[in-house]
Amino acid sequence: MALLEVENLDVTYATKQRPPLFAVRNVNFELNAGEFVGLVGESGSGKSTLGNAILKLLLPPGRITAGSVRFEGKELTTLPDEELRQMRWRDFSTVFQSSMNSLNPVTRIEAQFQDVMAEKSDLSNSQIHDRIGELLQMVKIDPSFMRYYPHELSGGMKQRVALALALALKPKLVILDEPTTGLDVLVQKEIMHNLRTLQREQGFAVLLISHDLGTVLEVSDRVLVMYAGEMVEDAPTHGMLKHPIHPYTHGLLGSYADPAAEEVEISYIPGRPPDLTRVPKACPYAPRCPEAIPLCRQAKPQLLPMWDGKAACHVAQMQWNDEQHNHTRHSEEGPKLLDAAFSEATSHKAMKLEGEEVLRVENVSKTYQRRAGFKTTSMNAVNDVSFNLRSGKVTGLVGQSGSGKTTIARMITGTEYPTSGAIWFGETRVDKLKGRGIHNYRKHVQYVFQDPFSALNPVHTIQYLLMRPLMNYGKLNAAQARQKVRELLETVGLTPAEQFETKMAHQLSGGQRQRVVVARALAPDPDIIIADEPISMLDVSIRAEILQLLDKLVRERKIAMLYITHDLLSARLLSDEILVLNQGHVVEQGAAKTVIRQPTNEYTQLLLEAIPRLERPDHVRASYVPTAEPTKVQVDASPVSEE
Amino acid sequence: MRYFIRRFLFFLLTLWTAVTLNFIIPRLEPGDPAEDIVRRLAGQNKPIDPAQLHAIRLMLGIPGGNIFQQYIDYLNLLFHGQFGVSYTYFPYPVTTLIGQSIMWTVGLVLTTNIIGFIAGNLLGAFAAWKRNSIFDSFVSVGLSFVGTLPYMWIALVLLFIFAFQLQLLPMGGGFSETSTRQMSWGYTLDIMQHALLPALSILITGPIGWIMGMRNNMVQTLREDYTRLAIAKGLKPWKVALLYSARNAILPNVTGFAMSLGGIMGGVVLVESIFNYPGMGRLFFEAVGNRDYPLMQTILLFTIVGMLLANLLADFVVGLLDPRVRKGKN
Repeated sequence: MALLEVENLDVTYATKQRPPLFAVRNVNFELNAGEFVGLVGESGSGKSTLGNAILKLLLPPGRITAGSVRFEGKELTTLPDEELRQMRWRDFSTVFQSSMNSLNPVTRIEAQFQDVMAEKSDLSNSQIHDRIGELLQMVKIDPSFMRYYPHELSGGMKQRVALALALALKPKLVILDEPTTGLDVLVQKEIMHNLRTLQREQGFAVLLISHDLGTVLEVSDRVLVMYAGEMVEDAPTHGMLKHPIHPYTHGLLGSYADPAAEEVEISYIPGRPPDLTRVPKACPYAPRCPEAIPLCRQAKPQLLPMWDGKAACHVAQMQWNDEQHNHTRHSEEGPKLLDAAFSEATSHKAMKLEGEEVLRVENVSKTYQRRAGFKTTSMNAVNDVSFNLRSGKVTGLVGQSGSGKTTIARMITGTEYPTSGAIWFGETRVDKLKGRGIHNYRKHVQYVFQDPFSALNPVHTIQYLLMRPLMNYGKLNAAQARQKVRELLETVGLTPAEQFETKMAHQLSGGQRQRVVVARALAPDPDIIIADEPISMLDVSIRAEILQLLDKLVRERKIAMLYITHDLLSARLLSDEILVLNQGHVVEQGAAKTVIRQPTNEYTQLLLEAIPRLERPDHVRASYVPTAEPTKVQVDASPVSEE
Repeated sequence: MRYFIRRFLFFLLTLWTAVTLNFIIPRLEPGDPAEDIVRRLAGQNKPIDPAQLHAIRLMLGIPGGNIFQQYIDYLNLLFHGQFGVSYTYFPYPVTTLIGQSIMWTVGLVLTTNIIGFIAGNLLGAFAAWKRNSIFDSFVSVGLSFVGTLPYMWIALVLLFIFAFQLQLLPMGGGFSETSTRQMSWGYTLDIMQHALLPALSILITGPIGWIMGMRNNMVQTLREDYTRLAIAKGLKPWKVALLYSARNAILPNVTGFAMSLGGIMGGVVLVESIFNYPGMGRLFFEAVGNRDYPLMQTILLFTIVGMLLANLLADFVVGLLDPRVRKGKN
């Protein structure tokens, strides 16, 4: 008997005002004791809902409408509240997504361990105290921190505390819901490593829920993939890496690549997930699937065993059946992603750093003064940084949070003044501009923000949002502006424009919103665009799409772009030149390929190592890299023979 | 600790500002109180006798000397608890009058406000915990209707029903004219009977704001991850509700309570006038009506100091309840 068995589970969000949302449908899987399983899906795929349903923590109006969840054979869906309460934390515990919020802000760390341990274990108070110390040490936090309040700890530390808390009563299963999202890349890496080590030592089972397939594949034994509320693949990690069965998994894997490779290419999946208020009668992925056949649009595929895992896909199933008969492998497995790929080769990047200089940053430093009582402490956010922005070129600014990336961007936009150094925009000293001058200057410098969900005013239509900069800077009248809005929407690929201009931001998907943000930045016809982590909040499968759009616009319109990111892969793909920033200092600067392929600085190497490395055999890559030789596959290395 | 010291220093600074303003503002007003009194005694159009004016000035103790000397004298007198003599109740000093009425007001208004606050928060927390139940719908819909009723209207309705129609309770006053005014069970009961209707009229609408606030805050905090984590921990439901959810939801209400104290004085004037209750509100009402400057000024000063003290207390309580405000921006 497996530790956790989920059978035909349905979860529905039903309110009186809106049509019911069928968030999780007919999900089946098992989890064995001591197993480390990843659960992957994009936002809205139902992965967190599934996690909450297992824990019976669904927020109303979410409800389990059918199916069963058994823990060690005990049916949780019908278990009386009091019995379930007894099982909680001793049998299964959890770590929530937002490290900011999962600890009670008004009590000390110690108290948050104490209450549950006192109630659910036989330890005396002093034993509990010692055990809390041990638990904190386990996640590499000094026991003295138990006297602290949550707001006195950093985000990474809070998430470590949450992990230690989850392990307090030695549970058999821990469900982690996006435990490292929003944390710094290096911190993320460390926490995942810590988690894996603890899991090996203590042998608890883990269900790791994440949108980031790369991270999941690095740590898990087995991976479950969800799409639009359905389980589409369930396969061991090594198998999935070599040979993803479902085209969706293949598509997701396409967003990962080794930035230090000779040729770098990532792909995206066009389209968006279906509306879950209407249950798809056929394969929910069919509209986006490059391999779909007529059957995919007519009947729903079942999750069936094939190769070394399970998948719900008609095409894969037919290939599997064929293979069972013929004992040969076809190289056509997985989707053909040629049209939707974004690579250095297909980008419009030029080889040499030419192009007209638009902005020059000269030895700029920024020191923040902080006054506490009579003491003044100063912090060097940016230290002696120099670079140029050239028209039609992208300059990548790479570093982890707190490295001074955003401060530089703010100084370039004139919202912050440098302590020393100069910023030249043609003949204009940007750092000396005031009032009217700033206003006129900003027409030339526009910003693309990180979070497309908060960058658009939710009470206005897209048309209004895009008309504002046009009327403000372009001195157009309303009718002209309206005409221009359509052109802008077409430019960023939101066609037909008539359909989008009357919508509100919340009616659009994340990718569409980010396109609107880009359109807004283009509106005053700027010379410089500053893109501050423009893809980090987007679903993995559409990131390449936005990169492609930015690339196209920059090259065609001869815009100079400052691309700010912590992600070396996208920096490599989009940028001509890269600056690596560490604590305000430029530690490395040069052509993108050189910086990433031959890093000289330790810090750059550290950032490179933090990227999930997916060791994929050549034949998978060969199926969609156009320049590579179409190899006729080493069949003996395939998962079939491994079985 | 630094937080508390800082709060206390701020308190001293505001107190000094209030006291100084209380000194400056009357001196900016046109007219001479002594002249005013003589004119009232003598009649509107009669000439003023300078000797009479001088006598009145001596009697009231109107200060002389330059403004700085006056300010120092004023602070000195304040420090020794001398606030002057009431014009209306001459020759009683203002402090005696206030001393007689302050306990009535504190007893009635402060008690009912505190009871209202506590009851409101408990009911609100209960409504949020049982959200979408019948109790919750009653709270969210029913009480927001009752809350719109003006509270003097409720007071008048209560008077009409219980005092006039049913004659169960007295029409007004703080005690019966016939009572012995000695500490005894009978006297205590008598006071209680007189306080019941005014207290009820405050308590019907008073807690509604707190109930609604608490309910809405707690519906939010119930969805927060820390509350959900407490449920996931399998803690007893009352612990989850009170120690995690309500504990965080009450913070804005505590600040709100401190802020609301500023508005209480207005309410006190109303309720004490309606019930003819012998408290500070009625005294203030009379003082305004009779242009009794010393009395008015002193009541205002007392009110301000009371408000400041209450705010200081609320700051301390918030500091105790929420560790995040103690740290400041560091």
